[in-house]
Amino acid sequence: MIYIAGVDIGNNTTEVAVAQVFGKEDVRFLSSSMVRTVGIKGTLRNVMGVIDALDQALEPLGIARKQLDVVLLNEATPVIGDIAMETITETVITESAMIGHNPATPGGWGLAQGRTIRLEDLKTASAGGDSWVVVVPGTVEFEAVARQLNEATARGCKITAAIVQKDDGVLINNRLSSPIPIVDEVKFIDRVPVGMPAAVEVAQVGRTIEKLSNPYDIATLFQLDPDETRQVVPIARALMGTRSAVVIKTPKGDIEERRIPAGKIILIGHRQRVEVPVDEGADAIMAKAATVYPLEEVQAETGTNVGGMFEQVRQVMADLTDMPVSAVRVQDILAVDTFKPQQILGSLAGEYAMGNAVGLAAMVSTQKLPMQRLARKLEEEIGVRVVVGGVEADMAIRGALTTPGTRAPLAIVDVGGGSTDASLITEGREIHSTHHAGAGDMVTLLINTELGLENFDLAENIKRYPLARVESLFHMRHENGSVEFFREPLDPRLFGRTVVLTDSGAVPVESKELLAKIVAVRQQAKRKVFVRNTLRALERVAPAGNIRLVSFVALVGGSGLDFEIPKMISDALLEYGVVTGRANVRGTEGPRNAVATGLVLAFAQEYQG
Amino acid sequence: MQISEEMVRQIILEVLQQTPTTTTATKNPGVTVPPLSFREIGTAKAGTDRNEVVIGVPPAFGTAMTKTIIDIPHSDVLKELFAGIEEEGLKARLVRVGRTADVGAIAHDAAMLSGSGIGIGILCRGTAVIHQRDLEILQNLELFPQCPLVDRDVLRAIGRNAAKYAKGEHPTPVPTRSDPMARPKYQGLAALLHNKETQHVKLGAPSVELAVQR
Repeated sequence: MIYIAGVDIGNNTTEVAVAQVFGKEDVRFLSSSMVRTVGIKGTLRNVMGVIDALDQALEPLGIARKQLDVVLLNEATPVIGDIAMETITETVITESAMIGHNPATPGGWGLAQGRTIRLEDLKTASAGGDSWVVVVPGTVEFEAVARQLNEATARGCKITAAIVQKDDGVLINNRLSSPIPIVDEVKFIDRVPVGMPAAVEVAQVGRTIEKLSNPYDIATLFQLDPDETRQVVPIARALMGTRSAVVIKTPKGDIEERRIPAGKIILIGHRQRVEVPVDEGADAIMAKAATVYPLEEVQAETGTNVGGMFEQVRQVMADLTDMPVSAVRVQDILAVDTFKPQQILGSLAGEYAMGNAVGLAAMVSTQKLPMQRLARKLEEEIGVRVVVGGVEADMAIRGALTTPGTRAPLAIVDVGGGSTDASLITEGREIHSTHHAGAGDMVTLLINTELGLENFDLAENIKRYPLARVESLFHMRHENGSVEFFREPLDPRLFGRTVVLTDSGAVPVESKELLAKIVAVRQQAKRKVFVRNTLRALERVAPAGNIRLVSFVALVGGSGLDFEIPKMISDALLEYGVVTGRANVRGTEGPRNAVATGLVLAFAQEYQG
Repeated sequence: MQISEEMVRQIILEVLQQTPTTTTATKNPGVTVPPLSFREIGTAKAGTDRNEVVIGVPPAFGTAMTKTIIDIPHSDVLKELFAGIEEEGLKARLVRVGRTADVGAIAHDAAMLSGSGIGIGILCRGTAVIHQRDLEILQNLELFPQCPLVDRDVLRAIGRNAAKYAKGEHPTPVPTRSDPMARPKYQGLAALLHNKETQHVKLGAPSVELAVQR
């Protein structure tokens, strides 16, 4: 009888399975453990993590490290992924034709028209005649503004609306003899053109504007001809969904959505070579990529944005693997359409528009990671024979097959941080594997960008944990609507906030977005990457590319533990009539420890006693 | 060595005389501001209106003392706080907390009286706290500890955020600035102002609801 340990060094975690082997295929598993991987996978720093994990697994057994007969290391998958984001559209306003934004508290409500006039010029404005839209700078106090407006109204001036620089809309309106719609928080008030026909609309609380977001209503208000109406369509579109808006008719005022030339991606297959411009969007890129089979290399037009991004990815890979940059080849990409909040160029109130962007995940296949070197170092440290075992994907599938209720043909899907891997074992014990670009890190990037968080740690937490809203210091409402009460008051920093319920406690989300929006963004990002990539990977390994011919699909790895991914993938695979679920390695480990278990089983199969 | 209060005051005054006066923050130093005219409505009662934020002030506020450490008249302090609350569509109630000159305790007393459970406490020199009634006195929703940095914009933002908490929204906390020079420059003065303020405290005095008369 001998003691052996299987060790799986992954990107994020290092897992160990300890077992007794009595003879050929006669194994008894004793314990397992899991720690965070120390350093980047495949580097010598991993040794510290491995020793820690071994000790954790051995301690409850009362076995010393020295008593192990052999330690088995995985042959790590030689793929590494990286991600980037490329913006492809931007919104530009020329000549300040409009303001459309969501100040928290505009004043009054309704639709009004008039010519723009500065507050200081109001004193000399003649009574009767024109209607005025008053432009109020932040230097004048709200009480003085209200007094001046009331005086002018008393003189017989027709004041129909106001555009205000500070957050004073309600304050001014509350002091007016006759209320008017007021758009406030217009940051660059001095850029508002004076003496021009303007329309101001403020919607009631909980509603959005109706007239200024409709091109025909704008045409009606400003008596536009059909050609001019065509030109205001982007204005109307930009104003949709806002609570207040101003449209000013200037001679050359215009707004346009500009496409940024982002460069081309070149897909090289065995016999083909296809070029796709990035600004055609993710769907076009992925559709083209699907036609190139087998995809051998992906290049990008040099000297463009996407070219720069590819260069960066290759540089990172080269540094990591000690290969020359010229030898690094991108072998798969995943493109995803996304949105990025961008400040509108030439805006008056510092408005943001959602620019279109394309997120790209690239995967690089490297030469074998230096596992042998790592094995020798480990051997030195612990004084036990260390053997580099079989291919990671083969080991994982052997481990996954210990899940009760499975049999070949079984496919496993491992959604990691950098890549999505799938393997299939056929009834004839043949194993096929594939690796695709795009996984957990991509989802984090999408969440970070679409919510404008600029905080990767927070985005990572939003990806991994459910949300809740702290409604008082003694209760919170979870994202599914249920309420939880507390005996002890919560941290005051959480009061009234949307929080992520991480393992180490609730973390506030610094975002203006409502909880429902954050949930929607998170789920969409997961669908765009996880579900799509799972299908892509399964199609690649399935017999004849037909997922229906796979009877069982098991999710392994950390993503199998995610609180919603298994359900999403299971929903997507339902129509194929496949049994889908989270693996339960050895009936005890859940989706974890598949590779470490597989290493031990593979060793026992060859063991001669 | 015995250190009497008199001695401390003497030392502070000497230090202040030796320090060259900077006029960056103090726009109108030495300007005397007339006291505010308050009408006492009666002993403050706990409100039931979810639509209100209560502002608590110490006894010397607007009477024995009339401006903050950076010379903002107390009438303007109240005006900005009221405006911030009004802009969000809520009502403000003013209460004089007689029993203490501690900003946390004042704010918490205000929060306990507030129908929404949200209160603001502000000292004569400008130190301020946004409080919630379920919190402990030494906790807070937002704290503005450096009174020389509490200017008109910050006061407006304090009123606005307090109102947003009362509405159940989740406001972005008012950016707390920190000036490393505020301490050496103002600490002596702040200590004097604190002493002055504390003299007006009457232990066990009830809180009184006030209206500002113009």
